[in-house]
Amino acid sequence: MRKVAILGVGMIPFGRRDDDNLMDLLSAASLKALDDAGFNDRPLDALYVGNMAAGILNHQSSVASALADSLNLLPAAADSVENGPASGGSALKNGILAVASGYYDWVLVVGGEKMTGVIGPKATDTVATMTHPQAEYIYGATLPSLAGMFARLYMKKYGITPRHLAKVAIKNHRNGLLNPYAHIHTKITLEGILTSPQAVVNNPIVSDPLRLYDCCPVSDGAAAVLLCPADKVKEFKKPEVLVAGFGQATDTQTLAERDDPTDLKAVSIAAQKAFQMAKLTPKDIHVAELHDAFTILEIAESEHAGFFKKGEGAKALDAGVTEIGGGLPINPSGGLKARGHPLGATGVAQVVELVWQLREEAGERQVKGAERGFSLNFGGFGNNVVAFVLRREA
Amino acid sequence: MNGLAAFKCKKCGRIHHPKHARCLTCRGREFEIIHPEGTARLLTFTDACSLPWGIDERCRTLGVVEFENKLKAMGLLRVAHPKLGMKLKASWEPVRIIGGEEAYGLTLEAA
Repeated sequence: MRKVAILGVGMIPFGRRDDDNLMDLLSAASLKALDDAGFNDRPLDALYVGNMAAGILNHQSSVASALADSLNLLPAAADSVENGPASGGSALKNGILAVASGYYDWVLVVGGEKMTGVIGPKATDTVATMTHPQAEYIYGATLPSLAGMFARLYMKKYGITPRHLAKVAIKNHRNGLLNPYAHIHTKITLEGILTSPQAVVNNPIVSDPLRLYDCCPVSDGAAAVLLCPADKVKEFKKPEVLVAGFGQATDTQTLAERDDPTDLKAVSIAAQKAFQMAKLTPKDIHVAELHDAFTILEIAESEHAGFFKKGEGAKALDAGVTEIGGGLPINPSGGLKARGHPLGATGVAQVVELVWQLREEAGERQVKGAERGFSLNFGGFGNNVVAFVLRREA
Repeated sequence: MNGLAAFKCKKCGRIHHPKHARCLTCRGREFEIIHPEGTARLLTFTDACSLPWGIDERCRTLGVVEFENKLKAMGLLRVAHPKLGMKLKASWEPVRIIGGEEAYGLTLEAA
């Protein structure tokens, strides 16, 4: 396989974007990635679009075909990729494979979602369609409720407290304040969301033990990357950032059928595959973007991906290891918690953030000396996970 | 209470709910239909208060239980103060209206 580089990246600010439809979001992020690369109007070979729910939320299908038309990429190949909240990661993996195989040279990967055009309960119901129709959905199961059931067991098993969860939220909100692309720019405090009498009002139960500030917002947004063979980067004036490795793994659709429901097997396997391909270990990583759709997931994923032993993730959080400036900064972008989580955009947005970090273009949230990054995009409730390892060449 | 169907692999005995085309352990393709037996033990639960469109309740309690014959399933709890490990008895009742029709599922109350 050929080495694959990320030549250009682009993203639009996440949030509630009432004036933009899905195609506006996807097109804007795409043009930013092309302009970032200095690609101008050269022809592309292929387009992959990660999107989960345009068919339900926006009454639109064949999103990739529409985007190829909007951008005038014609007659490039175009495919939509749907893998729940890991749609962006899956689209990127497919784009990487297409370049690595030698079949295509210039591939644009875009992830995006327009979620705020429907009321909250409808967005919740749309996301819940990825649960099992007969074994989960009929009961009103949602992703927050699956996360709540997981959190109850994981917290008990490893001694994680509501204070630990709050600290993840506070850290990621603080990081989000440094990110102009983040949906949420709000400073939060332990008193405000946990320890004061007003905390129960400020931070109500969503699915206990998870509260409002343990959950990511519903967002609109899009992100894009332009891929090419590594040996073509020198044609452009851009730092060389390589896809050093990727991995993907699946697990049972229902939480109830897992032998140990606290074991995120697909996270472990996807991460191991990505590290194995990159010929690196978790110790070699300088910055990570994890899928903190719920605060408990940042801690659990950091352990399952191999950065900390099981039960040690919360201790690392307490010790400041996961802060910008710590030994392993996690979610300097603000993560899903503060940057937002437009489903199909997230896996691509994580990689865009890593590229900015590895190029030293991340502004106030820059992780000093970052040369190798890791991202993890968590589909369903851990039933389809995609991981990437990126490396900046000297 | 035999409304809930589970699928026991004829080759290795693993119990599945919901239905699978191949066994999650041995990839066997033949299954015997079985039903919950005895009381259920509560493995985990959550009070879900951000419910999807179509459920007009402030909160509802969802849980995962294991029956005496090792069948594991999600259900709707009708218990005021659930505790991990508590014993529950199951019924098969409407749990949601979907597309104008009642969807039946597992409901659980203290045994």
